[in-house]
Amino acid sequence: MKRHLFLVWVLVCMTLHLSAQSRSEGRNYPITRSTMYGLGTMNLYDTYLSPVEYEGVQARVLRESSRTMQWCDEKVSRQVLFQGHVGMAMNRAETSNELSGMVNWNYALHYNISLFDGRLRLLAGPMMQVHGGFIYNTRNGNNPAQAKLYTNVAASGMALYNINWKRCPITLRYQVDVPVMGVMFSPEYGQSYYEIFSLGHTEGTVHFTSLHNQPTMRHWLTADVNFRKLTLRVGYMADMQQTSVGGLKSHDYSSSFMVGFVKNLRIID
Amino acid sequence: MRTILYFSSFILSLSLLATSCIREEDMDNTPQGNFEALWRMMDERYCFFDYKYEEYGLDWDEVYERYAPLITPDMPTKGLFEVLGNMLAELRDGHVNLYSGYDVARYWKWYEDYPANFNDSIQRNYLGFDYKIAGGLRYTVLDDNIAYVYYPSFSTAVGDGNLSDMFNELAFCNGLILDVRNNGGGLLTNANKLAARFTNEELTTAYMCHKTGTGHNDFSSPEAIKVKPSDGIRWQKPVVLLTNRSSYSATNDFVNAMRQFPLVTVMGDCTGGGSGMPFSSELPNGWAVRFSACPVYGPGMEQLEFGIEPDIRVDMTSEDMARGLDTIIEEARKYLNR
Repeated sequence: MKRHLFLVWVLVCMTLHLSAQSRSEGRNYPITRSTMYGLGTMNLYDTYLSPVEYEGVQARVLRESSRTMQWCDEKVSRQVLFQGHVGMAMNRAETSNELSGMVNWNYALHYNISLFDGRLRLLAGPMMQVHGGFIYNTRNGNNPAQAKLYTNVAASGMALYNINWKRCPITLRYQVDVPVMGVMFSPEYGQSYYEIFSLGHTEGTVHFTSLHNQPTMRHWLTADVNFRKLTLRVGYMADMQQTSVGGLKSHDYSSSFMVGFVKNLRIID
Repeated sequence: MRTILYFSSFILSLSLLATSCIREEDMDNTPQGNFEALWRMMDERYCFFDYKYEEYGLDWDEVYERYAPLITPDMPTKGLFEVLGNMLAELRDGHVNLYSGYDVARYWKWYEDYPANFNDSIQRNYLGFDYKIAGGLRYTVLDDNIAYVYYPSFSTAVGDGNLSDMFNELAFCNGLILDVRNNGGGLLTNANKLAARFTNEELTTAYMCHKTGTGHNDFSSPEAIKVKPSDGIRWQKPVVLLTNRSSYSATNDFVNAMRQFPLVTVMGDCTGGGSGMPFSSELPNGWAVRFSACPVYGPGMEQLEFGIEPDIRVDMTSEDMARGLDTIIEEARKYLNR
């Protein structure tokens, strides 16, 4: 338990340290901000609630902010993502529903490599993730819901390619994020939330996660289309969250088509 | 080109790292598939196999051998429901149910095979029609200055304010009859809140654990359940707690806590038991399943699943019932007025 808490503390300190650096050193550089809204499908599975998979729809919102940093000859960029989604799913027999809600915050630092006169940019670096949410089964009694709370250090990679299509500049992007290690809250196999929260029996509820028990990844494709001063962003996200901890298995597979607008800002001293 | 190659390798590696899928295990929505899923669910998650083997020889593997031949590929849905319900009844557990759209399979012999020891028409002779209500509690003062409090269900909430106000109203009484007969349980938090009014010191009243794996003996270390004295008004006079076979589940846990307080005497019939906190799950065909998942033990780690014997055993007699008297309430009044 103490070891896990120490790991969380290290991760949080790392994030705050990087965040402080970015505030003090990068004030003269362009900032790109976007807000996207999406709709899609999801597939929920959590053996704490049910041994069968639930399928349904979800709505998603994503805010992104990215900027170039001063470090390493301006070859490092920072990306902050805040994402939230809510959804409703049903079992195959259509006798029960599950509702889900999840928010996650991501902070990434990418090293940039420009190729082909800047038309292609390749980015790679670490990402810090914090996730929180729930799945609620409308039919269950003493195990009606499963809380989701976990933090990860992830590896993140991105490719950006600029093209012109009928004189219209378009930026294509592909991004993939894969958590490498982290810490997760989860009840044990048959542990009730009454034991955890009413009786305070919390031992065994914090788990170390890595690729062996959290083979999770997020793929993201976007296209930024510029119309004079307006930049439209359309995209597709495939988010595959999976865990197998404490004898409990879960997944949240979602795929969403997203659309939004991009704002380009520049802070001048 | 080398940069692109390295980067492509990086992206490919990231994707390959997380390629394994965590999906549901293969479960066919056929009579055989649902039977297998239910048997295995109980085998892996039910919490009283060893105790019930000691008590009446329950052998879950033998149950499989006996029921598997009854499952045929073309059997009707209602036939499957009946067979699965009968298989679950082998567990002799009121917390084990199978729910379809048209019926609930249950085991209720823990009270059906015993005297009711409660009659709400006769209870009305004591409670009257002008009784007071505090949250889920109904209460009145009997002719001999004994307080009578009835709590029909721990599913109905009671607040700390309710309890303080009620005990303030009853402060002048010489004793208290707390009736939890026919209380089939509900929320343990309500039971603990009420029990906290009857102790002046923190007591370990029970232990609880949970399954940590699929084996019949995969349990966590038992953790103490403690009742802490309430900060509100606490009852300091003798109490008789009335029980019958329908005092079940959270009520069973409440009786277990109350029996450890020095001013409390348990009177009536053995409680119904039900000491395993139930969890819910489901079968591939969508039927819901409930089963005991987290066992609660007494302060000496004794099993409470089949009920708690009262300190003083009293049954309602037909003679008293014919006269409109509740034998158990009458005995409780005599005990408090002795």
